[in-house]
Amino acid sequence: MRIIIETPQPNDEDVVIVRCASPDQRLISMLLSYQTANTELTGYLDDKIVRLNYQDVFYFEANENRVFAYYHSDVYEVKYKLYELEELFMPLDFVRCSKSMIVNMEKIEYLSPLFSGKLEAHLKNGEKVVISRQYVHTLKVRLGIEEVD
Amino acid sequence: MVKEFFISLLHYFVDITTAVLIAAAIYLTVSGQQMESVILWQILLSGFITALPTAILLCLDTRSAKLSMILWFTHFLLIFVITLLLLKMFGWCRITPLSAFLTFLAVVFIYLFTCSVHYLVDRKHTTLMNEQLKKRYAGTEKAQKENT
Repeated sequence: MRIIIETPQPNDEDVVIVRCASPDQRLISMLLSYQTANTELTGYLDDKIVRLNYQDVFYFEANENRVFAYYHSDVYEVKYKLYELEELFMPLDFVRCSKSMIVNMEKIEYLSPLFSGKLEAHLKNGEKVVISRQYVHTLKVRLGIEEVD
Repeated sequence: MVKEFFISLLHYFVDITTAVLIAAAIYLTVSGQQMESVILWQILLSGFITALPTAILLCLDTRSAKLSMILWFTHFLLIFVITLLLLKMFGWCRITPLSAFLTFLAVVFIYLFTCSVHYLVDRKHTTLMNEQLKKRYAGTEKAQKENT
């Protein structure tokens, strides 16, 4: 299957056209979840309240019952639980990489193996994030090199 | 979690048993000793017993690198002690300072062997994953560059 992404003319509405012989359930549920997903996030930094763009988030991390969104250099607190963010952003390019972290796959520069089956994700902002052994399989599935159990 | 435990147990059992078999083959060839066929079962049992703590350790998701190092060091010591106990139990040799030192070297060899095998497998997998990442995001980056 080929994926073609075209940039619309200025002022034109974004349109998703699927050309296939018979759309299966997986495709329909993927499109529906994309359409209904609420991807608006509000971030809090000291006394500032900021509308966050999920595409700019490198990763979410839970720390002492608080959840933070890490941008290139700024860190914002978000009023969501980590599992809620996981549900919200799973159809997009976010993947759970440990009990306390969800990483944006698009921000991964490359992966390298670590001792004991863990992986290290080198992010585009120079940070490194450890992918726990338990979540390596999920990442492989998302990258299409392993099948879902 | 349970499935992962059994997969790790199976992988490490195979790797450790292979390494023990190599170590035993080298030792028997060099020493010229003859062993009974029961040693094959003993090697299989020792592979299983030493793979157990390894599989348990891999199920622990430690965030701190320091704690991880402590756990792996404790694991190494545990494997060394288990191996000494197995040597005594199976009557492979008497426990003397020299045999303990040789056992230590054998454990280091087996440890390095299994770690290297797993590291090489993981490296192969990450190469594949990096290729997939590149393929997946090459189009997105190109579109972003064209837009700017």
